[in-house]
Amino acid sequence: MNSLPQLITKMTIIQKKICMIGDFSVGKTSLVARFVRQSFSDKYLTTVGVKIDTKLINITDDTQVKLILWDIAGSDALNTTTASYLRGAAGYLLVADGTRRPTWDSALNLQQAVSSQIGNKPFVLLLNKADLQEQWEIKPSLVEPQTQQGWKLLPTSAKTGMGVEEAFSLLAKQILEIAT
Amino acid sequence: MTRTIPLRLAKYIRSLWLSETIITYLNIDSQGHLIDWGGYPRHYGLTHLVKGQPVTEQVVFLEGMLPVSRTQVLQFLSLEGGRYAHVHLVPFENGTWVLMFDATSQQQQQQKMQQQLNDLSLFSYRQSQLIQELESARRQLAEEKTQLEQASELKSRFIATLSHELRTPLTSIVGYTKLLDEVQQADVREATYLANVKTNANHLLTLIDNVLEQAKLEMGQVILHPTVCNVSQLLAEMKALFFPTAQDKGLAFETITAKTIPMRVMLDELHFRQILINLITNAFKFTQQGFVKVALAWQEGHLEFAVADSGPGISPVAQSKIFSAYHREDNARGLPGAGLGLAICHHLVQLMGGELTVDSALGQGAIFSGFVQAPLAQTLPLNREVELSQEVTILVADDNAVINDLLEIYLKEGGYSVIRASNGEEAVNLALAMQPELILMDLQMPILDGYHATKKLRSKEFNKPIIALSASTLATDREAALRAGCNDYLTKPVYIEDLLLAVANALG
Repeated sequence: MNSLPQLITKMTIIQKKICMIGDFSVGKTSLVARFVRQSFSDKYLTTVGVKIDTKLINITDDTQVKLILWDIAGSDALNTTTASYLRGAAGYLLVADGTRRPTWDSALNLQQAVSSQIGNKPFVLLLNKADLQEQWEIKPSLVEPQTQQGWKLLPTSAKTGMGVEEAFSLLAKQILEIAT
Repeated sequence: MTRTIPLRLAKYIRSLWLSETIITYLNIDSQGHLIDWGGYPRHYGLTHLVKGQPVTEQVVFLEGMLPVSRTQVLQFLSLEGGRYAHVHLVPFENGTWVLMFDATSQQQQQQKMQQQLNDLSLFSYRQSQLIQELESARRQLAEEKTQLEQASELKSRFIATLSHELRTPLTSIVGYTKLLDEVQQADVREATYLANVKTNANHLLTLIDNVLEQAKLEMGQVILHPTVCNVSQLLAEMKALFFPTAQDKGLAFETITAKTIPMRVMLDELHFRQILINLITNAFKFTQQGFVKVALAWQEGHLEFAVADSGPGISPVAQSKIFSAYHREDNARGLPGAGLGLAICHHLVQLMGGELTVDSALGQGAIFSGFVQAPLAQTLPLNREVELSQEVTILVADDNAVINDLLEIYLKEGGYSVIRASNGEEAVNLALAMQPELILMDLQMPILDGYHATKKLRSKEFNKPIIALSASTLATDREAALRAGCNDYLTKPVYIEDLLLAVANALG
């Protein structure tokens, strides 16, 4: 007996809005491109406004999550325009560029601003450009206080794909745990 | 349900000054179901809208956005087909109206501007990082340089102390060997042993003197004392000094003096002599056949010198290192020396305001040439008006009666009156009793030598000029005399013009 129709009927699809937050040129758009289309470009194209993409991922055998990804224009602080994009977000990926120390400070500031805007939603902090590790200005001692607070930190590389799937998957699971 | 926009919404749209842009709208009920739409939803890729179905399943960007209690504006929202829209979520009655105004061209313009700003910001950041890295590298280099300089100075100080300590007993060994040679009635074998001791002790002494000189040069402790110098005479001395070596090795040795050489120039003769001796010694050391030539010329205050040989020549790589201290070429292995001669020459020439260079090619000999500052010396006319100096008494202290006679003749020729002493003790007593205007003090005298006599006089507040006389051309002996309290230092043999000029200078 073919069990496929039964499986399909049993499959639950949940839609969740996720925001990409971080300073400009940290690689938010590239992370989404890697995650959604498995592509990467070295050319930097700044985002103005917000780009929306979707991706369906399997969480369990009978649960899929359709992630609605809001790739928000980079900035070191939240303004009225960017704050308006956060409405209804179930969680967010906070992104810093490992090769630029100031983007770490921006990430910390943005986390506080986002938290006061939409409450304590799940987030994962990504230290992107892990392929340029020798140029990193964000040292382990710098991130130590945040890891001790229990923040989830992941090194990622949109260029090589390192840590990208894990990052989105980790956030989706955190969101679902809260949801259940 | 209506396909027309309610009046209140029409007024709202008009107030936005966006009425000419392409408008699309969705009407959503309080449950989030699509009631109706209008305008151009296809423009944004919304091709399969179904009334009565949940809107978030059809228009994904509305996920989590509904319902709204007050108007929400989302600027530059990307939609299908590369379009951008300003999206307004307007609460109306129990539902929501979603208005979409095309903002694609506006977004493109803003994107260009923002791209330039961000590129500039990234460029500035990278630039400032590079400057910081450069500055950090510069600081590190400066620190390393200071550390190296300190280490080098410590090394020089250590070498200087050690050399000085070695020199004292070695001088004694050389002296006693000389005495032994004079008194002992040695047979041939003993004489050979003694000669070997003498040769090696002298070699060791020269080596230590060079090490000491190099250390002092590195620490900046070598001070020049220009005196009147007869350059032609100096070159004649060089010829006499190296003639036996040339004969032993079967080499032609030639000294050439240009006609431009003046009789007297102001020059630190001892150090210039050291430069010539080192260069000539070096030329003889490496040359097995052919010649060694030395030439001197003078123009516009510069004394030019060149030492040429027909030796094996020096490769370009070796030439770049040849003036470094303790550097030795492979072909110098087995030959005496510590790689200091040329380094000392180079340093001394620089100290004397000149340059030393080498011109050579393998198999074609070498020419070491350069110049030092040597201005013309003022000359004193002999037989000056006697009344000028008749009252000036000079004490001549020398144990050698012949030299004492000669100096007296010279000084009287210059119009001075002379008193004489034949040892240091007599010189001290006479000087304190007669208070001469100047003393010519031989350094090697019986009972009390010139160094101790000078020190004693200075301790008894005799403050008239004392000029040291010595056969030694070693810089260390001159420094010892000056340290003891002498004002000047003349080497024997002394020439009348040099003597009178030195006396006149000392008397002011």
